[in-house]
Order: sequence, then structure tokens, then C-alpha cells
Amino acid sequence: MTLTPQRSAGTHAGRAGAAGDPEAAGSPGLESPGTPKARRAVGAQPWLMALAVATAVAGAALSLNGVLRGWAWYSPVLSTVLTVAFTMAGLRALRWRSVFVTAGALAALVLILTFTFFRPHSIIGFIPSGATMTQLGRYLRRASETVLAESSPVAPNAGIVLLVCAALGLTVIVVDALAYPLALPATSGLGILALLIVPAMIKPQSVGALGFSAAAAGYLMILGCSHWFSPDARTGAASVRNPGQFRRGSLTGAVALTATLLLQLVIPGFDQGAFPQGSRLNPFGPASGLNPMISLGNSLRSPGGDGRITFATNAPSTPYLRSVTVDSFNGDNWAPDDRDGTRRLGTGRIESGVESAATEVRVVTAVDTGQFISPYLPVPFAPEAVNGLTGRWSWDPATLSIKGVDTDSRNQRYVALSVAPQLTPDLLTQATGPVQGVPEQFIRPPDNVPEIVRTTAEAVTAGSATPYARAMAIQRYLRSVNFTYSLQSPVQGGYDGNGLSVLADFLNQKSGYCIHFASAMAVMARLEGIPSRIAVGYAPGRPTGATVSIGGHGALPEFEVDARDAHAWPELYFQGLGWVPFEPTPSRGVVPSYAEEAAAPSGASTNENNDGLIPSNSPLPTPPPSVAPLPPSGAAPRPDAASVLLPVLYGAGAVLVLGLLLASPHLARTALRHRRVGGSGVDSAAASQAWMELRDLATDYRVPPRTSETPRHFSARLRHAGALGEPQGPDAEAHRAVRSLTADFERRQYGRPPSVPGVDGARPGAGTPAGSAAGAGSTGASAAPLISAVRSSLRDHARPLVRFRAEWLPPSTLAAGRRAATAPFRAARRAAQRTRRGLAGARSRVRGALRRVRRERWLRRS
Amino acid sequence: MEYHRISLDEALPEEQDLREDSAVDRIPAALRPAQPTAAMDAEAFRAASERILTAINTVIDGKAEAARLALTVLLAQGHLLLEDVPGVGKTLLAKTLARTIDCSVSRIQFTPDLLPSDVTGVSIYNQASRSFEFRPGAVFANIVIGDEINRASAKTQSALLECMEEHQVTVDGHSYKLDEPFMVVATQNPIEMEGTYPLPEAQRDRFMARISMGYPDKEAEMEMLETHQATSPLAKVTAVVTAGEVASMIATVREVYVSQSIKEYTVSLGRATRESGMLRLGASPRSMLQLLRAAKATAALEGRDFLLPDDVVSVAESVLAHRIILDRKAASTGETAQGVIRAILAKIPVSPDLAATPAATSTRR
Repeated sequence: MTLTPQRSAGTHAGRAGAAGDPEAAGSPGLESPGTPKARRAVGAQPWLMALAVATAVAGAALSLNGVLRGWAWYSPVLSTVLTVAFTMAGLRALRWRSVFVTAGALAALVLILTFTFFRPHSIIGFIPSGATMTQLGRYLRRASETVLAESSPVAPNAGIVLLVCAALGLTVIVVDALAYPLALPATSGLGILALLIVPAMIKPQSVGALGFSAAAAGYLMILGCSHWFSPDARTGAASVRNPGQFRRGSLTGAVALTATLLLQLVIPGFDQGAFPQGSRLNPFGPASGLNPMISLGNSLRSPGGDGRITFATNAPSTPYLRSVTVDSFNGDNWAPDDRDGTRRLGTGRIESGVESAATEVRVVTAVDTGQFISPYLPVPFAPEAVNGLTGRWSWDPATLSIKGVDTDSRNQRYVALSVAPQLTPDLLTQATGPVQGVPEQFIRPPDNVPEIVRTTAEAVTAGSATPYARAMAIQRYLRSVNFTYSLQSPVQGGYDGNGLSVLADFLNQKSGYCIHFASAMAVMARLEGIPSRIAVGYAPGRPTGATVSIGGHGALPEFEVDARDAHAWPELYFQGLGWVPFEPTPSRGVVPSYAEEAAAPSGASTNENNDGLIPSNSPLPTPPPSVAPLPPSGAAPRPDAASVLLPVLYGAGAVLVLGLLLASPHLARTALRHRRVGGSGVDSAAASQAWMELRDLATDYRVPPRTSETPRHFSARLRHAGALGEPQGPDAEAHRAVRSLTADFERRQYGRPPSVPGVDGARPGAGTPAGSAAGAGSTGASAAPLISAVRSSLRDHARPLVRFRAEWLPPSTLAAGRRAATAPFRAARRAAQRTRRGLAGARSRVRGALRRVRRERWLRRS
Repeated sequence: MEYHRISLDEALPEEQDLREDSAVDRIPAALRPAQPTAAMDAEAFRAASERILTAINTVIDGKAEAARLALTVLLAQGHLLLEDVPGVGKTLLAKTLARTIDCSVSRIQFTPDLLPSDVTGVSIYNQASRSFEFRPGAVFANIVIGDEINRASAKTQSALLECMEEHQVTVDGHSYKLDEPFMVVATQNPIEMEGTYPLPEAQRDRFMARISMGYPDKEAEMEMLETHQATSPLAKVTAVVTAGEVASMIATVREVYVSQSIKEYTVSLGRATRESGMLRLGASPRSMLQLLRAAKATAALEGRDFLLPDDVVSVAESVLAHRIILDRKAASTGETAQGVIRAILAKIPVSPDLAATPAATSTRR
């Protein structure tokens, strides 16, 4: 005979009876009697979860098509993702601990990458060795070259695919870790979002429907799996307590949709289409560096002008600023050939090596590059000397491009001296001599020229005798009404970029922008035997109205150009006259006088900033200068000139990191809560976990527990503090929950441990429920619904600021962080105290000994 | 000889059928076979305690707390010291508690000339049997009411010491076991100083708890005037539990589970009193034991079979305050023993192990 109050209800009976207990069944969150059983068994959950994660990541990877060309890269990506995901599932099915599951997944990632990419360079095909590392370095170098030098879509070489596979494998691990052990399935969307940001920023078509829907489906599967296997108390509670869950969900969705649609009207830059199609998200702004061939289209499409350059010149007509040339038309991606071997240092004297028969005019141009960043210096053609540069610069005798050795064009102010030959159609017509002294790479026609290019060139130039006539025929053809200037149609037609195949598409579609026109003319001229190259730079800009005085030349009018003036044009070589620029692009730039003809359909052009969306064949009236709003040059962002992929990747990472950082207290708090109350909830440790969660909740809502407070006292204080609302009415459940949590915790913390049998083994009274207050409400059921009831009541009764703080800067988490951060200091202080005390003790002992000695001496003396 | 050994009959002339509890007629407990007492069922325990408290509360208005504490001390096998000004119902409480239990009660009115043998008993030469015969003193009863205990000399007071601590009496080399349950309920008057002998520390330490009754509130006082005018309220009280039931209730209390963390908490409370700068004398280890026992009784009265820190806190003031001695400096600033205990309770962390438990103890697989 003894007292046996709630023990029976608490641990033994409660375990089996949780589902059948009327009170437990009535409390929210316990959905069905089968739920605890499903939770206990590992079963299919890891596998389904792995499938969900793999679907989400592999689906998001679909949208990388367009960043990477073709689909060849997708099979290694798929194998990597599946291997990693299902390795984790397997380990989890073996009930490994989460840390080891993650470690195992990393190992699997390394093995599958080795197997895919380094099979010949590894031990038995998949174990990395020293050779693997060497090869890895080579691949990484290649990948970084690709990232720096190529435009999207890049060719899927091994390096870049390796990089993509590794990144996706890591994403799988992160997403899985967020969704499963940290129990933050909703947050795992961040990992998927990070993947989607890459195409969203790089591809003009943005993410694309396929990739988006696949990623979204995977994400929904992750959420579904998490909900199915460990039902979230909050949503569970909503189903019973708030029948309006569906209504609330659709309301939230509607608000989000409206905000998305309205926001783009407010945010500058969203002038075309809907988010994110209209303007690609780019934290660094449009690339202001003029990367030839790569970002030209993007620069031209940028709604605001960035990379503003101002210059003053005494040239009779505003010159083109030319920074680099492209001369090799082979391969899929044309890029400037730096020819670093033949470059010469110093810009004091630049020699073109061409003796022009025409009279030459010396032109002085003072340039301020501002925030424009590029390794190449924009100068008028053909430069003779550039003075006032900082840093070391070199020039290429063949192309006269000026390139920084260890510096770039940012914030350079310099004066360029250039020579402009006074060409006339007559002079050009007479230049019929065989080409001599021109490097081979300007003459050699590209391999594998598409048939349409060749036939077009032949058709256009038929009947033209001289090289000049042929050049003019090509230019006339390209400037004819058949061709339209459009920045968008190459994007829509899928030939935004460069290369011979793009050229073929362009000639078919007859719509494109400067790079297409320039490359068409250059390739066709070369096919017709005229040495050619593509110059990249800026079309003549707009006068700013200001003047700049240059020593010896007086005040010169100032002009400005920015990213929207980025331009490409062909330069053709004529024996005896040197390199001669042409202007085949309709509505852009200025056709040089020697290349003008009366019959040109769109002979008049404008040097105004035309947006190029509507091909304009009629001469535009010259509006007053600076129609377009000009950004202050100081505020212009500064991306690395040569890279488009890199800042995007960094940007995605930075956004992710920043978001995680800001949300980290919230995430840490949520994860802690899930870990504490998400468990099976009937074992004794769960009670104290739930209790700690209750304490932290109270701390967050400004009813912090005191250390000298008993659990019961704290519970009473919490219930009467008003933070939970009235004990009757809608918050009765929260009050009951607090009482129940307290009782559970007390029993677990202070009660007889279940393993120890009672003092007198068989107690007749065992199982008799005591009708005491302490026993009320303790069901031994999962703590999750109780905690969530308390939480929602606390939230409902807190002021908005408190609520915000409790959610996003929870004091309990911050205090824990502070404690952890100050622990070393506290330890140091304690150690210092101990040392001080020890020293003081030693000193007093020494002093006492001295006193004794002195005293003895004194006694002896007397 | 001013030795009153009364059965409560004295207060109730028209005594009904109170049992004859004259100690003289009883055989010493040691000679009777000890019956094993078993613990009690929770429901029975609750019912019994409920009956006792209801009975007491019908007699003494507005003193439910004191009544409950008195019962706690009884169930914890302690002794109770009622200290308050005259006329607030100290003796009434003691007598009522005794009356509700069907057991032997004796009352000793302490006076300066009371002798130790009056308390413990004496051996008398029996002419007929030509041998010494032990005549038990007033202490041979289940409940001993010591009225105005501070009026007796220190010698007589200390005669109670052995009885209270060891539940036995030793006279002329013979030890006699006292009946179980055994409880001394003493009252003393803190105001009257002349001709009193304040209880020595050793003896104070033997009392489990000291209760100050305090004045009743207005309603209770009105009620008392109303009902107690004509008849003594004690007249209506009858025994509601038997001594055997009380013994088994005590056994129940003994089985209340005390967890490790409660023991730690109790010990840290005791150490805090000894280390406190306000106190000349802290709480003794015995007082810790008694604190725990009183707390166990409280837990049992609340219907629990395990101890909560709340139980310890609720009895700490009553159990500890009369044992500690304030520092002279603290006393001069008007600090009270109760205040010091309260301050210590507000300072000692309840569950240090909880704070130390790593929050990350995951229960997930």
C-alpha cells in the first residue's frame, strides 16, 4: 500500500495508451493512432526523402541548360545527384547517426566524382590518388578559364562539368541536412533557390519553365515527405483548431502573387516582361566591363547605362573607341587572342607598321574611364601613343590593342594620340594590290564555314571587281531593309552569342545586333579574300555639353559613352591603306564617309542612344544631349571585367549566406525546437527536452525563468503573467498544456525512475490514478502539440515587437550564443582569480616566515 | 507537584466516550509486541488526511495553513513548536489535532518547579511485590502537549530530549519504548520573558518545525465570536482516524521518493545557511534530514509519491527558521531568521543539473 499517483498514467500506461486516451486524441496534433507507429519505423522514409531531394536538385539542374550548352553534361550530373542522395538514404536506413550520414555522403560524392572524371587517374577506377589531384588541378584551371573567358552557354568541358557536379552534390547534402536532421524542410528550399539563381542571372530566358517546375515539384515532395513522416505540430494543430487553413493558404498565395506582379512596376529595371524575365537579377549590375563578344548583348540590353566613359577629342567627327579585336573565327566561342608573347611594353610609342598612302590627321583624345573595368584600354584607332596611364600596359603590334599587364582600365585618365587616315572611296578603290605584311591569322578563312555564309557571300559580291567594291557590297547587303536590328530576336531564336553556327542562324533570321552584323561582314570579307577582324569597343557617344581643356589644344567638347553604346564593327585590310573600319550594323554608329553611298537604304544613322528594340530606318531628329538618365559614375558597381559567371556565382553564394546569416537565430531556434519536441515524445528524456523548450519559449516572450525558481512556481508565474491570456476561453488549451508539460517534467525530473521498482514490488495501489492537481492533464503524449499550443497563445498575446523579436532574434538563442562566446573569457577570469589567490597566499606565507625569522632573531638578541 | 497529566476530559466535563488513555494503566510500549505498519493506499491516505484537516478547520477558523503544517509534522514523525502570543489558539490547535486522532494524549503544563521525573516517569518501591516498579510519566502517550514549555527549568526541558529524539525513555538504566506515533506539541510564549527559560539550541533543533499562529483575519475572528460563544468547539470533535491509520500514513510518507537533484538542492540550501554572512549558526545536518522528511510529508499530503522542490521550499521557512541564529550585525539591522531563509531560497538554483544539461541532447535517431 503506497501512494502511486500519476506514475502509472505517465510512463507505462501512457506509452501504449497515448493514442487511445480520449484526452490525447482530443488534443490537437495527434492525427491518428497510427502516427506514432509510422514514426518509429524507418521504413520507406529515407528512400522517399532521397527521391524528393534528388528530384528537386536534378530538376533545378535542368535549368542550367543554356548556361551549359547541350545536354551532354546532364548524365554525369544525374548520376552524381542520385548516388549522393541514395547513399544518404541507405546510411539512414542502417540507422547511422546524422553526422556520419553526412560524412558518408561526402565520401560518396568524392568517389562518384573520381569515378566519373578521373577513372584513368585513380586507383581501381574510383579511389583518388596523387594523379587525381594533378588532374583535378588541370580541370579546375580549365573551369576557371571557361568561367572567365567564355560567354554563356559555355561548352560543357570536363572542368566545368566537374565543378557543376561537385556543386550539385554538395547541394544535395545541404538540402538533405536541412530537411532531415535539422528538421527545417521549408528552409531547404534555399539550397534549391541558390541553384536557380545561377540560370536566373546568366540566362536571358531566366530559369525556364521546365527547370522551375521540376525544382518546385521536388521541393513540394520534400515538404510532403517531412510532413508525412514527422507531422509538424503547427500544421497539425491548424487542421483541428483553425479550419481556415486552406483559406489562409490561398490568401497568402494571392498576396504573394500580387506583390510579385506589383513589385516589378515599382523597382526600376523591370521594364520588360514579368519577373524574373524582364531584367535579370544581378547584384553587381550589368557587366560594365566591355568583355568582347561575351557580354556585348547583355551590355546593350542593360536598361541603365553603366561603365560610363567620358572623353574629349579634337577629331573632326566623334571617333569610335576601340579596345580589342577578335580575329580567329574558328570554334564555337570567339575570343580575342591576346598574343601575350608578341606584346610590347610601354605605350609611349605605338607603331602600326603600316605606311598609309592617305593623308593622315593626328587626333588627340583625353579619356576618363571612370568605373569602366576591362583589361583593354579604349582608344581611338590607330593609336600612336598613350600618356598619363597608371600601371604597366602593353600593346600588340598586330592589332594595336592596349592591354594592362598588372592593372585594368578602372579610373584611368589618359591622353591618346591617334592617327586617322583621310580615306576616300577613290583611294580605296585603287587599293587593289595583293595583300602583303599582314599576319596569317587575319587572312585565313575559318574552317567549317556554314554553307549559307559561303553562298551568301558569293551571291552578294558577285560582279564586284575590287576588294572595296566587295566590301561595300557586303555592307550594303547587311544594311539593307532585309535585316533588322534587334537585341531580343537572337535571344528568342537561341543564337545569342557568337560563332559560326550563330552566324548561320543570323543570316537565316536576318535579325540581330552589332556583333552579328560585324562578324557576318568580317567572315564574308575573309571568304572573299579581304583580311578582316572584328573590333570591339564603343560607338560614338553623346556630347555632355561640357568642355575639357587639354594642354596645347584648348577646350575640347566632351562626350560620353556607356554600356548601351557598346559596339562591334569589322575592320578590313586594304593594301597600302591599312586597316579600315566599316559599319554594317543598321541604326548604330556612324557610317564612315568613305563607306557611304547614296543608295544605302539606311544611310543616315544616329549616334544617339537608341535602345535598339525597334529597328529604326528613318533618321531620328537629334534630341538634346543626355536624354537617358545617367547614373552617377561613382555609384557604378565594379565587377571583374572578364567574368560573367563568376560574379553571378559569388552573388548567389552571397545572397544565400546573407539570408542564412540574417535568419540564423531564427533557424537555430526552430531547429532546436524541432529537435526537442520533434522526437517520439514518450520517453522520459523528451519531457525534459519539452520543458527546456517551454523555458526558452517563455524567455523569448519575456517571462524568463529564474534559476532559484521551482518548475511549478515558474509554470504558475507563466500562466498568471498574462502572456498566455486568460485561463478560460480560447487559451485554456495553452494553460492546460503548460500544466501538463510541468507535470510531465516534474515526474521525469523528480519522480522515481521507471527502471527502479518500488520499495515493495507488487503494489496493490499501482495504477490507481490520484485525483490530485498534479496529475491532471498529463497524458504522456507527444510534447509537440502542447508546445505549439503554448507558442501560439504566447504569440497571440505578445505585442508585435516582442513577437518579432521572439521569432527572429529569440533572446534564448542569443543568450546561449552569448554564453558560448564568453565562455573562454569566463574561464580565463576564473583562472586569473585562482592565480591571484594563490599568489596572495604564497606572499602571505613568505611574509609570515620572514616575520617569524625576524622575531626569533630579536628574541635571541634580547 | 504541579504535574497535570490530563486526558482532555478536563476540558470537557460531559466527556462522552473518549478512551481511557491514562498512562498509568498502560503497559510500557516496549513490552507490547510491535505490529508492523504497512504503507497506505493513495486514496485512503488522501481521505484520512482530508478528514483530519476538516476536523481541525471546523474548530479553528482561518488557520488552515497552520493545521496543515501541524499534520505534516505529525506524518513526518517530527515535533512541533507553536510559538506565539497568548490567546491565538496554540493550545487549541494542539488539542484539536490530538483529539482528531484516536490515540492517547497527555498534557504537561510546564511550570518552574516541574521535575524531570514528572515527565519521564519514576520507579517506585512496591511494598507488596517488594520490588521497584516503573510508573510511566506524562510522556508515555501518542501525542504529548507541552504547554508553555519555556516556563520549566532547563533540567526538566532536557528530560524531553531523549524522548523526542529517540522515542524512548531511560529510567534507572531501563529503556522503555514510546508508543508510535509519538509527537510532542509544545507551545511557548515569546513575549513574556520573566521567569522563563528560553529553549536551548539543542532542544530547539529537536523540534521539526516552529509555527507562528498569527492573528486570525477579520472574518475568521467574527466567525469565531459567533460560534464559540456558548460551547467549546472541541466538544464537537471526535476522533476521525485511528492511531494505526496514522502509523500507516507515516509509513506511506516514508516511501515518498526523493530524487538525487532534490537531495542536492536540500544540501545546497543547508550549506548556504552555514556560509551565509548573516548567520552565526547555520542549519544542522539533522535539520536537513528533518527538512526532507517534512517535505516528504507535504508531498504525500498533495497526493504525490515523489518530492518536488516546491515541497522543500514550502516547509523550509518553518523547519529552518528556529534553528539558525542571526549574526549580531544582521539582528541589529532588523533582519529576521525567516527573511534570511527567504533570501537564501531566492538565491539557490533549484536544478543546477538542468542548466548544465546540454541542450543538444537529441532524442532522434
